[in-house]
Amino acid sequence: MNDPQAFITGLKLLGAGLAMIGAIGAGVGVGIAASGGVQAMGRNPDAAPIIQTNMILGMAFAEAVAIYALAVALIIIFAAG
Amino acid sequence: MSEVQKKRRYGFFRWIVLALILIGIYAAFIGPSILKPVRPAIVLPPEAVWPGLEILGIPLTNTMLATLIADLILIWMALRVSRFVKSGAMVPSGVSNFFEAIFEFLWNAVDSSTGKWARRVIPLVATIFLLIFVANMVKLVPGFESIGYLEPPPKGTGYAPVPLFNIFGHTVYTLDSAQPVKLEAEAAASEGSESAHAEGEHEMCKACQVVPFLRGSATDLNFTIALAVIAVLMTQVYGVMALGPGYFGKFFQFGRLVNGGIFGVIDFGVGILELILEFAKILSFSFRLFGNVFGGAALLAIIGSLLPVILPAGLYLFEMLFGIIQAYVFYLLATVFISMAAVSHHSEETAEAH
Repeated sequence: MNDPQAFITGLKLLGAGLAMIGAIGAGVGVGIAASGGVQAMGRNPDAAPIIQTNMILGMAFAEAVAIYALAVALIIIFAAG
Repeated sequence: MSEVQKKRRYGFFRWIVLALILIGIYAAFIGPSILKPVRPAIVLPPEAVWPGLEILGIPLTNTMLATLIADLILIWMALRVSRFVKSGAMVPSGVSNFFEAIFEFLWNAVDSSTGKWARRVIPLVATIFLLIFVANMVKLVPGFESIGYLEPPPKGTGYAPVPLFNIFGHTVYTLDSAQPVKLEAEAAASEGSESAHAEGEHEMCKACQVVPFLRGSATDLNFTIALAVIAVLMTQVYGVMALGPGYFGKFFQFGRLVNGGIFGVIDFGVGILELILEFAKILSFSFRLFGNVFGGAALLAIIGSLLPVILPAGLYLFEMLFGIIQAYVFYLLATVFISMAAVSHHSEETAEAH
């Protein structure tokens, strides 16, 4: 507590780490999408291209949440005050 | 006979890989400290290629330079392909063959999702795909993010420069990881580099970090936001091309508000939400690409400085895969959004045409 600048830096790093908790949801979402996609492809291999496209699309949307968390973390570390 | 030759070549490459791993272990753990990796400085905004170098008042940044290199590669590829098309030959080879494979792959996805608009949509989305793809591949060339001029870091620890050799009268420096220097406020701006030129008349910095000449294009938020704005604006353009001015009725459903009763009000609110969603698309497009590429670059730099032997090679492979996937995702989302915009909300016959 003697060095307020170090205290602020520490809190910033802590906040950035906490922001990345948001990646949990994205991880679960991407896993569910991959699981569903692979199951569907296993049942109907002929439809694999369509399923793959939609699976990657869904994964991209799920992953976007983690990317938002990453952006928040980066802003906290590099840009905020 | 050919089998024997194949076997010997396989063995040859194996020895090269083993030798490289041994050289890496020597450089990282046993050898002199100038060979050891330096903990890199991770900087969010792009840096100027050279202090004071400006074009029309805008500093030429290292990400811009990398984008220009990607552009040059794309133009070279396009010239090769156009020469092949003009030659009238049927079987492509080399670059043309690669281009044909990529284009066929892109065309199939665009054709199946946008239907009759495919011929008008593909120039935009294929350009976006190729630019991101080439930029992400160029970024992985060794020398990116490691060759540059030396500058005192704004805070934290720098490293002492060690002169390596002279080239054209300029001294080339490398950073010595055994001599971390706590930053002093008096360190003046000066130049030098890890394997690059230094100008003699400038005062050398005591504690330095490398400001690279080249950095991956997508690690710059300006690049990804520009692409996202272009993609979302063009989505509106394709919507108007397909549906006429009535396209904007999707956002402002005044007709429903007047004669739709309570559900009309809800529909109007949904329209406004769709308008907000268009702006959210810019955000998600740009931050997805930027986050993935910047995160990957930071991961490579940090892992490379912590355990520089075998792991970075695997991560490089991972980065290559992600470069392709992110280009594909950007392209796919742009295609899907455009195809959604080109299909009318109300009349089903436009949807039937596909």
